[in-house]
Amino acid sequence: MSSKMIVLMSSDGQSFEVEEAVAIQSQTIAHMVEDDCVADGIPLANVESKILVKVIEYCKKYHVDEANPISEEDLNKWDEKFMDLEQSTIFELILAANYLNIKSLFDLTCQTVADMIKGKTPEEIRSTFNIENDFTPEEEEAVRKENQWAFE
Amino acid sequence: MKCLSQMDSLPDAILQYILSYLTSARDVAACNCVSKRWKESTDSVKSVVFHRNSFESIMETDDSDSIVRKMISSSRRLEELVVYSPFTSSGLASWMMHVSSSLRLLELRMDNLASEEVVVEGPLKLDCIGVAKNLEILKLWGVLMMSPPKWDMFPNLRSLEIVGAKMDDSSLSHALRACPNLSNLLLLACEGVKSISIDLPYLEHCKLDFYGQGNTLLVLTSQRLVSLDVQGCSWIRVPETKFLKNLSISSVTGRVYMVDFNNLSSLEALSIRGVQWCWDAICMILQQARDVKHLFMKVEFTGNEALQPFPEIDFVEFFNNHPKLQTFDIHGAMFAALCQKNSLKKLETGFTIPCLEEVVITVRSPLNAEQKMNTLESLVKYARGLKRMVIRILRMKSNHSSADDFCDDICKFRHMNEHLVHIE
Repeated sequence: MSSKMIVLMSSDGQSFEVEEAVAIQSQTIAHMVEDDCVADGIPLANVESKILVKVIEYCKKYHVDEANPISEEDLNKWDEKFMDLEQSTIFELILAANYLNIKSLFDLTCQTVADMIKGKTPEEIRSTFNIENDFTPEEEEAVRKENQWAFE
Repeated sequence: MKCLSQMDSLPDAILQYILSYLTSARDVAACNCVSKRWKESTDSVKSVVFHRNSFESIMETDDSDSIVRKMISSSRRLEELVVYSPFTSSGLASWMMHVSSSLRLLELRMDNLASEEVVVEGPLKLDCIGVAKNLEILKLWGVLMMSPPKWDMFPNLRSLEIVGAKMDDSSLSHALRACPNLSNLLLLACEGVKSISIDLPYLEHCKLDFYGQGNTLLVLTSQRLVSLDVQGCSWIRVPETKFLKNLSISSVTGRVYMVDFNNLSSLEALSIRGVQWCWDAICMILQQARDVKHLFMKVEFTGNEALQPFPEIDFVEFFNNHPKLQTFDIHGAMFAALCQKNSLKKLETGFTIPCLEEVVITVRSPLNAEQKMNTLESLVKYARGLKRMVIRILRMKSNHSSADDFCDDICKFRHMNEHLVHIE
């Protein structure tokens, strides 16, 4: 049985041939397929090739067919390895998963970032993610006081 | 020119979604202090947990109550609240005001059992919960329920778990009537219930542990029941058990008089334990559980009044009556009943124990050692599919050499059946 292939084009001009059934895990791509505008390939202006490769890897793994069922435990282990990435890649994956509308990948990437926040002090959170502290000194003192109970 | 970090460039909606994965109240508090945008985004938190030691540094419970209230009220839509730290009933009432319609899961450490006197200041903690009408899961620790809680109705409540409670019959009855759609009920370490009739048409999983003298009376009417685990009852009636797959009845302190199940034809796993069960009750339940696959039996004595040893059980009849038995775990006194003088009387060549794969036998006394060895040998001989036999030897009561001889016999037996037998 031949499977229909479609072509995905990254923002930096690389093309990737992917099984349609795998690609339509992205709701965005699924709608384009429905609207029948994929003949010349699908340009993904917001997704760089480096990230598109990871997205395709994820979709292939999650394209489960009944002949090869995979246990939830094994999938969770695979997820962990898959997400062992640099912080900047994780953020780009979040944006790609959001743009391509792949809910399970979006949830996985957001959960990963949430796990990086857990257990940290505000200073640690800021330094991990390079967040700008835009409180005025008075505002900062007030908010610290209100949340002081968490730091004792 | 300042360049925003990737985190700071994330759209607000995505930041909020990430923060909604945080559950620990401490993490939420830390995020509030990171930046203005973060402080505004923590309102997306849907589930929050206050651990036991959250407020160790805070002297007044009123202060910790209001910290919890502030965090709850700043959430746009709180669905799950778990509080293991101490709180007052007026604190709880103020929290419920903010979340009563969105809350789906509530877990609270009530800690009411420790107090000697019932101090009524303002609303009772249990009553405050009544306003959370959309609750689906309720879990309470350390509950004192000596008067019916002011619960009108929880139409969506499917799971109720109470661990550590002191209650009376009418209060429990009233509480359960407010949860007609329960599919899971757990009452652990529950003291004070003498007699209870439970009528829950959607109940599938039920675990009841009645602490005390072990003579609670139970009637349970739930046609969809799939698993039932009861401890501490002397009299149990469950009229509809068409779908019951797993049944465990145990009695740590009292005596089990009567168990009345209409039919146990779907039963796959049965566990009966206790100090003393009436013989009729044991026979009745074994007779009904014909197709049981997994059987665990640990009862010390039988008898209707005084403690009595078990009468003889015929080996062949027993296994013919339970042809689907796959795993069999049997202790001391009940094993001894299978090893009486005439237990192996009916053994003949056509007899088999077809499905048995695993046997665990716990022996305590060397009495009737020869019969016990015969029974063990019969098990190995007639259970062709047997994969594993574990013999647990507890401290022998007698100091005779008979105890040593018995152990020797068992070791010899193990030696002859090395691929099957393990000794612990």
